[in-house]
Amino acid sequence: MFNSAESVERLVNWLARLPGIGRKTATRLAFHILKLPAEEALELADIIRDVKEKVSFCSVCCNISETDPCHTCTDPKRRKDIICVVEEPMDAAALDKVDEFNGLFHVLGGRLSPLDGIGPDDLKIKELLARLNDKISEVIIATNPQVEGEATATYLARLIKPMGIKVTRIARGLPVGADLEYADSVTLTRALEGRQEF
Amino acid sequence: MAGIISAVFHIRDKMRVISLSINGFRNLTTIRADFSTGVNIFYGANASGKTNLLEALFTLCLGRSQRGVPDSILLNWNCDVYRLEGLVETKGRQYRLAVAFQRGGRKKLTLDSVQTGLAELYSHFTAVSAGPEDGEILAGPPSVRRAFLDIYLSQYTPNYLTILTQYQRALSQKNAALRREMDPSPFEPQLITFGAKVMHARQGFLSTLGEIASRYHYDISSGEQLVLMYRPTLPHMKVETSVEGFETLLQQRISEYGDRERAVQMTLVGPHRDEIVFEVGGYPARTHGSRGQCRTAAISLKLAIYHMLREKRGMPPLLLLDEVFAELDENRTAALVDAFSGFSQLFMTTATLPPAQLKELGHCYRVVGGHIEDLA
Ligand SMILES: [Zn+2]
Repeated sequence: MFNSAESVERLVNWLARLPGIGRKTATRLAFHILKLPAEEALELADIIRDVKEKVSFCSVCCNISETDPCHTCTDPKRRKDIICVVEEPMDAAALDKVDEFNGLFHVLGGRLSPLDGIGPDDLKIKELLARLNDKISEVIIATNPQVEGEATATYLARLIKPMGIKVTRIARGLPVGADLEYADSVTLTRALEGRQEF
Repeated sequence: MAGIISAVFHIRDKMRVISLSINGFRNLTTIRADFSTGVNIFYGANASGKTNLLEALFTLCLGRSQRGVPDSILLNWNCDVYRLEGLVETKGRQYRLAVAFQRGGRKKLTLDSVQTGLAELYSHFTAVSAGPEDGEILAGPPSVRRAFLDIYLSQYTPNYLTILTQYQRALSQKNAALRREMDPSPFEPQLITFGAKVMHARQGFLSTLGEIASRYHYDISSGEQLVLMYRPTLPHMKVETSVEGFETLLQQRISEYGDRERAVQMTLVGPHRDEIVFEVGGYPARTHGSRGQCRTAAISLKLAIYHMLREKRGMPPLLLLDEVFAELDENRTAALVDAFSGFSQLFMTTATLPPAQLKELGHCYRVVGGHIEDLA
């Protein structure tokens, strides 16, 4: 880096740690922020503070929320007997846009990946099991259709099926390697409609 | 040499590299060249870089080296990035291809300026290479045979590469689980599904390959037998096992080996442990084959693969021959080029000045110290 202020360099280094941002983009963003009017730049700082101070996790479904329980868990119009299990909050957001689905969610906070040291204890599985009772008629497993997502689905099905609850897996309508969060509603609707029992 | 001339014409669909530029790839720091349809000859001393040119051509079209070498080794010692760019025509359409790799980073493949993956390259392009290191396919360790198999089977069977990649990902997850003493079983259903498909594809490919290669070998070696056998780490395998059959066998073996796998913290069952056994003249090539026998058998294999791919893909693969003619006289060279009949573009290297007749069919380049010049 050329002879620039230390705080700019700190900003560049920090931005470069964000996913999908390389050093070149980080430098461009940093100089863009530097050129912004003060109030706009500070607004960004406030938004980041709000996100960290106001948003936490719903103690029921483990999704991100500003209230506990979250609005989804307390929504009287939703079916309370179907739980759709996803990896990340973004996956729940994508599936929530699909009209055909009107049940509850459970966010695992990741997927099994021994390569990254992530085992069952690192996911919100105990919290999921705590929600399962005789009022639950179906658990839909909507983890991503990749090797790790499939393994997570296998693991959950083995755990939940013996409890006498119907366990289904969304159809592989998604191309191999595709992420739920980027799939369009039509594809997601088809994946949900085509779900199969384990 | 009449055979070569008749071979170059009568082509319907073809694949050819029109131009190539190279930066920071092995000893080729900066190169740009246009190539002709037909024969392109790289003439130069040992270590001049002519073999690296063939490797660059293969890497441009299929995203990785035919020698199975990692990108960190393809990268020039003094460079931080290697970049290959070229214009390649296949079935009447031209594509702009680029492969770039940065030290410590990931490889980036682009097709007409859009980022792409290996599977996409394999679906458009096809290439066969033969060279002095091919003897290792018969004489070397099993990993060399599996790498050879995967590189050509990926070109022969659509989807094979995708399935193999999934298998390898599930395998590395299961191995990590075993190493960290986590439960490996959630990954096993996928190891069985993908593993069975990999094995089924390998068995089919190898049985056709064995048949065709043994015919070529019989001709080239004047009557010697070449036998090829697929030997997975499974018991009681019948010749015509279906995908479901492989699934059942894998399932059985995995449950039998569970304790041992946990003890050694490694996956012991599956196609990553497959072996291919070659017999030359009635003896196992790996232990009893001479250097010459192994090289001839390897050429027979490549000839067979070239014709299988030509038929399957509806066009002749790009043909890369490294020093294949070194030990042959002019007549045998002609016979071998004739055996690779119907090629649309051939790249070959030689350390001796090529025969005039061969030069007439295309273009000759002199390669010196990592640079290339027209010899026309
Ligand atoms: Zn909630």
